[in-house]
Amino acid sequence: MNKNFILYAAILIFGLAAPFLFPAFKVQLSILCVLIVLATTWNIQGGEMGYNSFGNILFYGLGMYLCASVQVGMFFPLAEWTESGGEKTFVHTPTQFFQGMAFGLVVAAVVPTIVAGLIGYSILGLRGHYFAICTLGLGVAAGEISGGIEIIGAGQGFTTPPFPNVGSLEARGEFFYFLSFFTLVLTFIAVRSIYSTRFKLILNAIRDNEDKAEAMGIETMKYKIIGWMISAFFCGLAGGIMGGLVGYIDSTDVAFDGREMGVFMVLMAILGGKGTLWGPIIGATIFHIFKEGFWTFFLGWQYVALGVLIVVIVIYFPEGIMGWLREKYPERFGEVVDEKDRKAQVELK
Amino acid sequence: MKLNKIILSFVSALVILFSTSIASFAKVVGDKIILGAAISLTGKYSSNGVHTQNGYNMAVDRINSMGGVKVGGKTYKFDIIYYDDESNPKRAAQLAERLISQDGVEFMLGPYSSGLTKAIAPVTEKYGVPMVEANGASRSLFTKGYKYLFAVLAPANLYLDVAIETAVELNGGKPVRIAQAFEQDAFSQDVRLGILDAAERTGSKIIIDDKLPKELNDMAATLVKVKQMKPDVLVVSGHTKGALTAIRQIAEMKVDVPMLAMTHCDAAKLSKQHGKNSQYALCASQWHKSLTYKDDFFKDGMTYAADFEKEFGYDPPYQSAESSAALLVFKDAFERANSFDQKKVRDALAATNMQTFYGNIKFAPGGQNVDKPMVLFQVMCDASGSCENKVVAPLKWASAKLIHPIPKWSER
Repeated sequence: MNKNFILYAAILIFGLAAPFLFPAFKVQLSILCVLIVLATTWNIQGGEMGYNSFGNILFYGLGMYLCASVQVGMFFPLAEWTESGGEKTFVHTPTQFFQGMAFGLVVAAVVPTIVAGLIGYSILGLRGHYFAICTLGLGVAAGEISGGIEIIGAGQGFTTPPFPNVGSLEARGEFFYFLSFFTLVLTFIAVRSIYSTRFKLILNAIRDNEDKAEAMGIETMKYKIIGWMISAFFCGLAGGIMGGLVGYIDSTDVAFDGREMGVFMVLMAILGGKGTLWGPIIGATIFHIFKEGFWTFFLGWQYVALGVLIVVIVIYFPEGIMGWLREKYPERFGEVVDEKDRKAQVELK
Repeated sequence: MKLNKIILSFVSALVILFSTSIASFAKVVGDKIILGAAISLTGKYSSNGVHTQNGYNMAVDRINSMGGVKVGGKTYKFDIIYYDDESNPKRAAQLAERLISQDGVEFMLGPYSSGLTKAIAPVTEKYGVPMVEANGASRSLFTKGYKYLFAVLAPANLYLDVAIETAVELNGGKPVRIAQAFEQDAFSQDVRLGILDAAERTGSKIIIDDKLPKELNDMAATLVKVKQMKPDVLVVSGHTKGALTAIRQIAEMKVDVPMLAMTHCDAAKLSKQHGKNSQYALCASQWHKSLTYKDDFFKDGMTYAADFEKEFGYDPPYQSAESSAALLVFKDAFERANSFDQKKVRDALAATNMQTFYGNIKFAPGGQNVDKPMVLFQVMCDASGSCENKVVAPLKWASAKLIHPIPKWSER
């Protein structure tokens, strides 16, 4: 407990100091926070529950559009804002900007949660590959549909309100960093406390053998839906922040970006080790550094490298980094190893 | 186990590299003016991204070899830091941030496409970094009140409205029936707005108004409707892929339509890739090599085209020409500002009034170039099957007469 406390305090202090230690990397750090949130919440289904969802991008994109729409719509006519070639220019005052953002984020978190409940009710009866493919369709469909809705800009895209002129040039970066870091901390606390309850055990039971779990009297459907709703809540929040950070929302390339974000969140969780608390966090961090590093030093090779990384993960770290560490140093994970027994097993092999 | 160790050390090496790579560039180092650009080298805009990059590089080499930029009595040379934005707006915004805050770039060149420019403009604006862009034509870019954005090209809504007006004129002044299909992206949707305006002005009716997906490789559904409803004009816009898909499927399905108006024919190298099938397509273009504009660096369009072909092995599409022009604008502004102060350079850019091989350049307060009309060319083939783009409008530069209506497939 004591050791853990020191660890958490150190990470928290580092997180708070990071934008001042690496002022030039604020945007990358903010994105890292968002990535960790996405990977951690994906892990609730993919890792703990055993339901590989490619649909979480739906909540992310939904949150993005909702947050921006609320932020604009509270003060100005939304249709005129998004209409291309509109002759009027709208400018948010600082108060309007932050008020809009606050309300926007609330809506961005709540609505996807409700949507997850409704969709979950209808599709969480599917299992295994069928569920994965079904959710894959969700993100694609959402991208195409939102690309046709005029009021949110359709194919033109949606320019989110520019950051007001307050403080120094660095204010925007700092605002979005702390917003995303705060969301990350919130997500971590929420997920960690969930993982220490019976809820996690139920999710694991569903993963390990759903029929048996049902036979034992667990209402699996209820827990599956709740699990997905928790993910949707934080995905929506992450999306809302990301929309403001990027400044421009495009239906398929930024919001419902299943090809990138949708796949990345799965990849990060698997890289770090799914079904663990720290796995997605480690995975997202390594993934982000790896990707950014390649972008800087080996321009043009980043996707080749990403492909190699995926192959390496699948072949050498099928259980992720956490899984690999667990196998190598089981004592550190509180598992007692009978050395004699282990040797005997190795010889048998 | 050994491999695992190698992987781990590789990852940690990357971490170290990443964390030590803090701002090692600055805007002007020694005798170099460093410009930043995020370009689509991969992804759906990669072919046009390369056209853009070639245009930039061509101008950098030319300006550097012809004496560079003279500021404060000293001679400077251009250099460009490129990043790959993967045709993704999210990535582009991130890269703009990186170019400015990490690489210390103080002057930017634009990316390819309106969508990506829309993502980058808020960033450059925030930092007060002047950006001369050559490939973001969407009208909404110029109504946001951006002060540091300058576009050497005419806005997207002007691309094809001339085609509609021509069609009406050829129809004896009577309204025409228009079928249109546009990709779901910022640029094409703006071209669409231009057509809507033109239709309203001329009283023409839009009978088909379809949207095409971004990963464009099939528009058969639209073409079936066109076959049924027989419009007077078919308008298609969807960057390079849109042009290629339209020509391929129109030829396959033998769709007869009196006028076919498109964008990006030259970037798609239509006349080369589809030969006679692309004949009679009417294309909007920012530039054509036969135009008679002149400057000191590239002389004129024909010389530019010849030099470009020698260097890169293909006929330059307008995307390359306008990108080259962006650097000429920057050079001119630096010399007039006689300073590297961002504000002074910005003011000098705003006062630009010059002629380049690509056209006249003069910016409106919104940042768009108001001194350069669009041209329309038509793909025309001779009996031997070799095809060429010939300017048909405006009449001042026309080198051929518009062929209208397009002969039916059965008569070709």
